[in-house]
Amino acid sequence: MKRMIRHYLAAVLAAAVLSSAGLAAGAAPGVSECMDCHGDKTIEKSLPNGKTVSLYVDLQAYNSSVHGKDSCVTCHADAKAPHEKLKKVSCGKCHGDAEKSYSTSSHGIMRAKGVTDVPACYDCHGMHDIRKAKDPAARTFRLNIVETCLRCHKDQAIEQKYNLPDQKAMVAYEQSVHGMASKKSGLTGSAVCIDCHGNHAILPGDQPRSATHRQAIPTMCGKCHPGILEKYEKSVHGKGMRAGIAESPVCTDCHGEHTIARVSDPSSSVSSRNIPKTCSGCHDKEGISTRYALPKKRFSSYMDSFHGIAVEYGMTKAANCSSCHGVHEILPASDPASSVNKANLPKTCGKCHPNAGPNFAKGDVHVEISPKKAMGVFAVRVFYTLFIGTLVFLFVLHVGLELYGRWNRRKEKAPGGKEGRS
Amino acid sequence: MSHADLAAGKVIRMSLLFRVQHLFLTVLLTVLAITGFALMYHENSLAQWIIRLEGGVHNRGIVHRIAAVLLMANLVYHVFYMLLSREGKPELRQLFIGRQDIDDFLQSLRYNLGMSKEYPRFGKYGYKEKFQYWGASVGIVLISVTGLMLWAEEFSMVFFPKLVLDLAIIIHGYQGLLGFVLLYLWHIYNVHLHPSVFPMNPSWITGKVSAEWLREEHPLEYEKLKEEGLL
Repeated sequence: MKRMIRHYLAAVLAAAVLSSAGLAAGAAPGVSECMDCHGDKTIEKSLPNGKTVSLYVDLQAYNSSVHGKDSCVTCHADAKAPHEKLKKVSCGKCHGDAEKSYSTSSHGIMRAKGVTDVPACYDCHGMHDIRKAKDPAARTFRLNIVETCLRCHKDQAIEQKYNLPDQKAMVAYEQSVHGMASKKSGLTGSAVCIDCHGNHAILPGDQPRSATHRQAIPTMCGKCHPGILEKYEKSVHGKGMRAGIAESPVCTDCHGEHTIARVSDPSSSVSSRNIPKTCSGCHDKEGISTRYALPKKRFSSYMDSFHGIAVEYGMTKAANCSSCHGVHEILPASDPASSVNKANLPKTCGKCHPNAGPNFAKGDVHVEISPKKAMGVFAVRVFYTLFIGTLVFLFVLHVGLELYGRWNRRKEKAPGGKEGRS
Repeated sequence: MSHADLAAGKVIRMSLLFRVQHLFLTVLLTVLAITGFALMYHENSLAQWIIRLEGGVHNRGIVHRIAAVLLMANLVYHVFYMLLSREGKPELRQLFIGRQDIDDFLQSLRYNLGMSKEYPRFGKYGYKEKFQYWGASVGIVLISVTGLMLWAEEFSMVFFPKLVLDLAIIIHGYQGLLGFVLLYLWHIYNVHLHPSVFPMNPSWITGKVSAEWLREEHPLEYEKLKEEGLL
């Protein structure tokens, strides 16, 4: 019996030793074991196309990454030491939501089709050195986002291949008020690529689900500019947009997209000098005036006024469209709350012309010169045109007659004529 | 009239004071036309070049207003001179438009058309000169009034609806155009291009014309001077 027990114990022990040894041979390697090979800066593998890829892992970068406390096998589950080619890492195993929304994006859809130019998780987030977006050293830190996106979006080959907006649009962002605020002033509150375009679910603006789709733009800008959004929603443009009128302007129609600049910047599409052109982009269009029963000749009737000429020649203090009509809160003149409603005109004009009272505000302002809209001015213009035209005609006639008469007189007076002349 | 002048067959037509007034008018109207039309036709590239030359639309306005003030001063001086001075009063009388001027005009038409052998006999000022004088005077008054209304726009706004100021702009501009046409088609023809004076009637500089010219073009004035023994 005792022998039997000893044998049994020996067998169990042997089995335990064997199995533990066996386990040790097949067990997942620790970080230090992986680093035995991957700590070597010269380790690399050859690709079929003749290029080589470094297999070196910077341990320090890994340790300070967000995954630094995990082990290699958390992501590389099939890793043994040594090992052949490993399976692709699936971030979605832990980051399911991100993977799901990525798969709906242009990047994800193309990636699924096998296009390798488009970014995968690691192109934006990094591989072994992934850091939290809040970490200033992260590729996805707000102040680093632009650089991360521009790695591809400033690449002309990629732009041409996928018919993307050209470099100008990308470079323009860096000069825009948002770009300057983040790049030059280092403000994290300023809009970077992802604030407008979204991150994982990024889509081109012509797709209804896109964050930059026309209908989504006011809300999107309103995330950071809620006060403006509130005013805009009450305006004729905002109401039109919410009613689904695609022609009704959203933020970007006046302010631009990547080019957005301060009002005080002369290059801005909403600067004093440029605003008439920006507004008349719609308001001088025959179709729009007709469809929405708006007054015509908005641009020329303004540009021919003293205000228009002064603004054209750089006198920024002269009234432009927004000085009278308002900015985000624009309302039609028929609305009693509108700054250009008849009842409010004395106040609106009075901002610059304190003497402009109710008497001054009678009649229409910058209308097309037609009998229906501005009879007085039209009549005077017609009168002068006819008068000057007739006068010129009569002058020429008189001059012609006189020269003809003189020529006759001369012929008569000339030698051989009746009188002769010295 | 000096003996030397008489010997040379010269007659005084414009006294020094009138020549000075005329010179002022010439320079000021030219300045006003250049600065004014640049604004009126501001979308034209030549106009834009002129406005830039004048140092922008603000400075253009200053130049225009300085010239305007001088022109109005010239006008006021001229009115007083014509109404009150010894030289002005008879001049003004000779500038009145009468029945005779209409007859002269019709006669000249008949003559030029070959329907009559008689050319009208003009005094110092014929219908051409009178038309020029009164046309310019009415024009300058009208353009001064509208110009002042627009200059003092804050003041005007108290009394007038915007429509009136819109009309003032239109009248001011077209009146300028009218004046320009009058000057460049009528006056330049009469004093430069007309066969009797080509290339120039010198009286606006020297004040004098030849007695021969006066006899041909203004025979009544010639005869009057002869009677008075001034020729």
